[in-house]
Amino acid sequence: MTSKIINMAERMKDEQDRLLESMFESTPIADNGFSSKIVSRIRRKLWMRRITLPAAVLLGGVIAYQPLVALLKGTYQLFVSLPGDLVPSLSDSLPSMQLIVTGALILAVTLISLNMLED
Amino acid sequence: MSRSEDHELVARVVSAQDTDAFGELIRRHQSHVRNFLRKLCGDMSMADDLAQDSFMRAWDKLHTYSGSGSFIGWMLKIAYTTFLQSRRKSKRYAEILEQAGHDTDMESRTRTTQADEVGDLDKFLAVLSEEERAIMVMSYACGLSHREISDATAMPVGSVKSVIFRGKEKIRTSFDIKDHQHG
Repeated sequence: MTSKIINMAERMKDEQDRLLESMFESTPIADNGFSSKIVSRIRRKLWMRRITLPAAVLLGGVIAYQPLVALLKGTYQLFVSLPGDLVPSLSDSLPSMQLIVTGALILAVTLISLNMLED
Repeated sequence: MSRSEDHELVARVVSAQDTDAFGELIRRHQSHVRNFLRKLCGDMSMADDLAQDSFMRAWDKLHTYSGSGSFIGWMLKIAYTTFLQSRRKSKRYAEILEQAGHDTDMESRTRTTQADEVGDLDKFLAVLSEEERAIMVMSYACGLSHREISDATAMPVGSVKSVIFRGKEKIRTSFDIKDHQHG
């Protein structure tokens, strides 16, 4: 008797569950460009992330170029003005300051580009 | 839609940031996620916006997916969190408008239009609380197990079961009311 009641209760539960499942059933939604829209948003985001750091370095380099050259020039002239016996042949062996700054900037951009390619 | 294929796609995304693989994951699951959010919001365009945001978040958080549960379960967890956050934001927005003494005519008009357009299921969903609705939809529309719902909602399995029971009771009562009214 008890098992009959339990079976009946289970069957009723199943019926109710089936009813709910059919009620909640929904027709599949067609993609219609939904996924490609998200993928292109992600690609744009990735591209922005990759370009931001080199762009910031480049911009910083452009802004800092002239003050940096002036600073290095001053330091260079200070070295040159020192008595010859204190810094022997230093002035002859140093390359021009503009060359050093340009070289440093090219090196930085190259390193960043290599890092980007690795990514 | 096999789990192993999902796991393979996830591995490709995590290891190589493969956007094509992620696109495939979206194509496989977008219907479930959008249906879930449409049933929660009752607003198709808002649901689709939330679905887009959910997939964007999923892209950022994919490395945290352990692979122990189904991908759709994990995805619905993100969708549910996105929904709750947007709901909180819009509540806050309404509060600010109210404090500023603005008329919320527009909002009530939209709500009336939506209410006119709702189907039978939406009427039944309306009797459920937000939490009950989310759990019932996860269970009956998305076919998630109690364990998966528990993971998605951060609720104990026992609580999930009792919420489902409560939801069923409420819907059954609504059916009865309807039968009496029409009978």
